[in-house]
Amino acid sequence: MNALTRAELLKLRSTRVLPWLLLATLAMVAVTVAFSVPSATATNNPLSLDEPTLLARLVGVSFGVPQVTMSLLGALAFTQEVRYGTITSSFLVEPRRSRVLVAKGVSLLLVGVVVASATLVVSSIVGIAVIRAKDGNVTVGADFWQVAAASFVVLALYGVIGLAVGTLLRNQIVAVSAVLVWQLLAEHLLIDALPEVERWTPWGATSGLLQLGSSGISSGTLLAAPIGGLLLVGYAAATVAYALVIAPRRDVL
Amino acid sequence: MTAAIELCTLTKSFGDVRAVDDVSAVIAAGQVTAFLGPNGAGKTTTLRMLLGLVAPTSGTATFGGRRYDEIAEPVRHVGAVLEASGWHPGRTALDHLRVLATAARLAKDAPMRVLAATGLAEDGRRRVGEFSLGMRQRLGLAAAMLGDPAVLVLDEPTNGLDPQGVRWLRGYVRQLADEGRTVLVSSHALSEAEQTADHVLLIAKGRLVRSSSLAALRAEAGVGCRVRTPEPERLANVLDAAGHRYRHVDEELAIDAAPEQVGELAAAHRVVLHRLTGTAGLEEAFFRLTEQSEPIEHRESLDEVPA
Repeated sequence: MNALTRAELLKLRSTRVLPWLLLATLAMVAVTVAFSVPSATATNNPLSLDEPTLLARLVGVSFGVPQVTMSLLGALAFTQEVRYGTITSSFLVEPRRSRVLVAKGVSLLLVGVVVASATLVVSSIVGIAVIRAKDGNVTVGADFWQVAAASFVVLALYGVIGLAVGTLLRNQIVAVSAVLVWQLLAEHLLIDALPEVERWTPWGATSGLLQLGSSGISSGTLLAAPIGGLLLVGYAAATVAYALVIAPRRDVL
Repeated sequence: MTAAIELCTLTKSFGDVRAVDDVSAVIAAGQVTAFLGPNGAGKTTTLRMLLGLVAPTSGTATFGGRRYDEIAEPVRHVGAVLEASGWHPGRTALDHLRVLATAARLAKDAPMRVLAATGLAEDGRRRVGEFSLGMRQRLGLAAAMLGDPAVLVLDEPTNGLDPQGVRWLRGYVRQLADEGRTVLVSSHALSEAEQTADHVLLIAKGRLVRSSSLAALRAEAGVGCRVRTPEPERLANVLDAAGHRYRHVDEELAIDAAPEQVGELAAAHRVVLHRLTGTAGLEEAFFRLTEQSEPIEHRESLDEVPA
């Protein structure tokens, strides 16, 4: 592994941010899954206890929080260095700044693998336990494995999108607010106002990739998983390319 | 004498403000060069351009002919302590150095070695957030020394240090120079340079106003004095008539003339003096040069200093 990537992983490991964020995320994952399992009597829930894809759907739904976590970790990867002034020494060690950014991106991909794996384990265990407790149907089929595979792609992409946003905005509070407000509020307000754009938003593309189905607001259907995945890759590529162009030109004061 | 660092017509504008204006200088290898000027004179911007962190509007800054970003494995050649270069408060000192050493592909024992060299061997496992300012400055120097570089660039390293810290730092800088390293150290206080520097670069309002050895500057500056008098206006008139330069500093007058001359003048004109102290004159020369901020080509002002 590249020295810069190892240094980035050491940065992540040597503060308390990552373990706490990971613990909080997994707790939220468990809660999300537990409360998403329908009761036997529910009639208006799109999921039902007899549905063969139930576990896959639950696991897909459980990635809502980890995806926000990864975008936060991405944003923090750059903005924390600006906040604490360590970006100066990072760029002194490697003056070719795009290499530092690429190393950050690679380290986030690796963190994404860890977060996705942990989320899959927690959401599957909690999902299976709660479904069994309600005498539901536990099926681990092709849907499940597709969602599991897609989750790695989703977390990797949210990590690098967060990194690109953080690199472009630089200020930690601004970048973290932007990432949170977009995902938790602005995007949903946009979809409320213009339901037809849902499938083209990052949220819509992610929902398509994780086969979550439409939010119910949109009248249309979401993009098929591969197309949703490609769209999300496109969003990531665009933001990352912009960050790679801008970062080397900026003065580090 | 070989040049370790060369600044060539280095200029940086931020909007309409010329922070650094056409600065050219040569920093000799194996010496301590003090980069002096008041706060806001452009020292930090110059050093950041030298280190590739700020892009010059025009001109170049090079180490042995190469820009910082052209040097392969730069931390093995150049070490830097910059004012805003920081640390994550939750990271231990050792981890802070390990991150840098890992990225720079340095030996695994480099962090412990520099911690020991800067007197922090016992504190490596403490979080940097718990460190005093003096310890953080030591950590900054430790980080700069990781790659055992031949050139060191230090931006205001004594800022905020207590007297013991300042003394330690001076000794350390001197030791680094004695090992044959080139040290470029910025400061807003001339007293810093007097203790450690061989050569002085004076910068004011973005322009280089003087580049000379400390000994030459001292010889040219001659001697001066400080006077406390209940009749400052009368003394000022007498000094004006005699052609001596002076400035008001706090309650006193700082005069570019030997204390004997001023004492005799005051006696001849019956001006009461409460105190008369001889000074090195260097401090006055520093103030005068940086306040006038004439570019280096026009430095006749120094010739006006009375002998």
